[in-house]
Amino acid sequence: MIISTSKGDAPLPPSRLRAWLRRNETLKGYLYISPWLIGFLVFGLSPIIQTFYYSLTKFNLFNDPTFIGLKNFQDILTRDPIFVQACFNMVIYVICSTIISIGGGLGLALLLNRKFPGNHFFRTVLYIPSLLVGVAIAKLFRAIFQAGGNGLANEFLSLFHIAPINWLGDYNRTWMGLVALIAVNLWFIGGTMLIFLAGLKGISETYYEAARIDGGNRWNIFWSITVPLLSPVIIFNTIIAIIGHIQVFETPLVFASAQGTVSSNYSNPLGYHNSLAVFLTYIYRRAFISNDYGYASALSVIVFAITLILALIVLMTIRFSHYSEEDLS
Amino acid sequence: MNTQQALGSAKPNTVELNIMKEQQQQKRQRGLVLQRFSNIWTYIILIIICLFILFPFLWLISSSLKNEFQYFAIPIQWFPNPIQWSNYVEVFTQYNFAHYIANSVWLAVYAVVASTFSSALVAYGFARFRFRGRTPLFIVLLATMMIPQQMYTIPLYIIFRNLGWIDTFLPIMVPQLFGSAFNIFLFRQFFIGLPREIDEAARIDGCGSFRIFWNMILPQSRPVIIVVAVFAFLASWRDTLGPLIYLSSDTNRTVPLGLLFFTSPFKAVDPQLMAATLVALVVPVVLYALGQRYIDSGVAIAEVK
Repeated sequence: MIISTSKGDAPLPPSRLRAWLRRNETLKGYLYISPWLIGFLVFGLSPIIQTFYYSLTKFNLFNDPTFIGLKNFQDILTRDPIFVQACFNMVIYVICSTIISIGGGLGLALLLNRKFPGNHFFRTVLYIPSLLVGVAIAKLFRAIFQAGGNGLANEFLSLFHIAPINWLGDYNRTWMGLVALIAVNLWFIGGTMLIFLAGLKGISETYYEAARIDGGNRWNIFWSITVPLLSPVIIFNTIIAIIGHIQVFETPLVFASAQGTVSSNYSNPLGYHNSLAVFLTYIYRRAFISNDYGYASALSVIVFAITLILALIVLMTIRFSHYSEEDLS
Repeated sequence: MNTQQALGSAKPNTVELNIMKEQQQQKRQRGLVLQRFSNIWTYIILIIICLFILFPFLWLISSSLKNEFQYFAIPIQWFPNPIQWSNYVEVFTQYNFAHYIANSVWLAVYAVVASTFSSALVAYGFARFRFRGRTPLFIVLLATMMIPQQMYTIPLYIIFRNLGWIDTFLPIMVPQLFGSAFNIFLFRQFFIGLPREIDEAARIDGCGSFRIFWNMILPQSRPVIIVVAVFAFLASWRDTLGPLIYLSSDTNRTVPLGLLFFTSPFKAVDPQLMAATLVALVVPVVLYALGQRYIDSGVAIAEVK
């Protein structure tokens, strides 16, 4: 992303107008951005500071916040089996889902990155599911991954003569639920595809022509022209995908409830033996079912730190993989 | 224009040129055949992928029109007979979805109006005024997009609880008044691209800055307004965590909550649940169809810059 703050500003006209404008501009500028500024201070900055503070306190429905130092963090990192399970699930889920989002999105973008009749239709069909995330989609896939032969997933597998799988209720193979959770991402590669298509449009045709004249085959062209020139977009998409996948909430929440319904006094949004625990559902349970605000705040801080570190690691790879147009010529 | 060019190139009618042209044409035709061949493969792959993507939704439509026996039948009955239109009637009446949809639509329309207007106003401030601290503040704004939701949730919940706002729409509605970072970013990128000369002319004619915004900038910004409005609607329509935390009574439930708590003590309600799910999914698709022209380019603008 390029922050081009001063690019669009034309020089101001001379004369008295300019002096009048300058006096007014600061005031008016702040006046116009004040809604965001106030909102940021009240609903952004102060909650974040409070979250950091709460993470250092014992704070639940019955206690006001009392300072206990780093005890919450110590508990989470040393003796919290659910957190370990959630971390384990998240590592698998985020890696697999990111590969699906980036690989699938890039593959589709390459397929669609030329003109042929029907191109727009395919784009639309592939993109629409990306608009549909949320509980509704989670409920749909909860039904598709139902046990027995009447679920669509099992019907699909039966084409390959695979016996019906009890996706979400097999207590001996609880990881099947995680597989289902990852598979749902196959339907949402249209979003990354669209961004890749925009990136591919930006690569000048001359590079491809030059490579073709030099006798490069498709594979060579892909690895030595498309990938390097697309690397900023790839990195951007990867960061967005990782952050998005860490934030997964509705689907595991719905999948975890074995009967497909959630009642107000239900037990566990994390699934059988916490097998579908992800960060956000665990934070949700700690904060709003157990009302353990201090502990949940500490969890939030840890998840935030993990997100930040992952994003930074991906950003660092720019150094090794980023080519600008000048480097090539 | 094309025909003119073709006529023009056909004029020098020498024999050599004709031979060369024939050769070229042959080459081009061979190229076309090759291209068409690879196009066929592209089509086959794309059609398979599209079918794969569309099948769950076809299954959803079919399932929403079944009774319980048809729903649990093996193998899948793709065309239920008889068709159970009554599922939809039940969803709207017995399961109170008419009410949930009204709640969701009200919240979403409010989000569209409030968030679009305030975001545009803030973006105008960032795009058209020079003031000390503008760049650092804009960087802060961009940074807030990267901060995950759960960093705010708990303190905000406690604040709203102390204000007595639990089980009202206020905790969801009030923050919308202050714009959203992503929408501000979108608007600002667009405003920067608008020519400043018109503003200056209007200013010399005696327009205040708000009138310039209202009469000059906004009318030119239709594409970005539509994109932001659609995104705001969709974000509100599918928001689950906010309503789940703040709304507890049945009368205040939104569509996602209605789906989450969809249950009946008397019977298996899977087909009815599928009907409700379909209703919840149709709204975004219709909205996308209406604003598609703008959204496709809007997504690209937003994500790549």
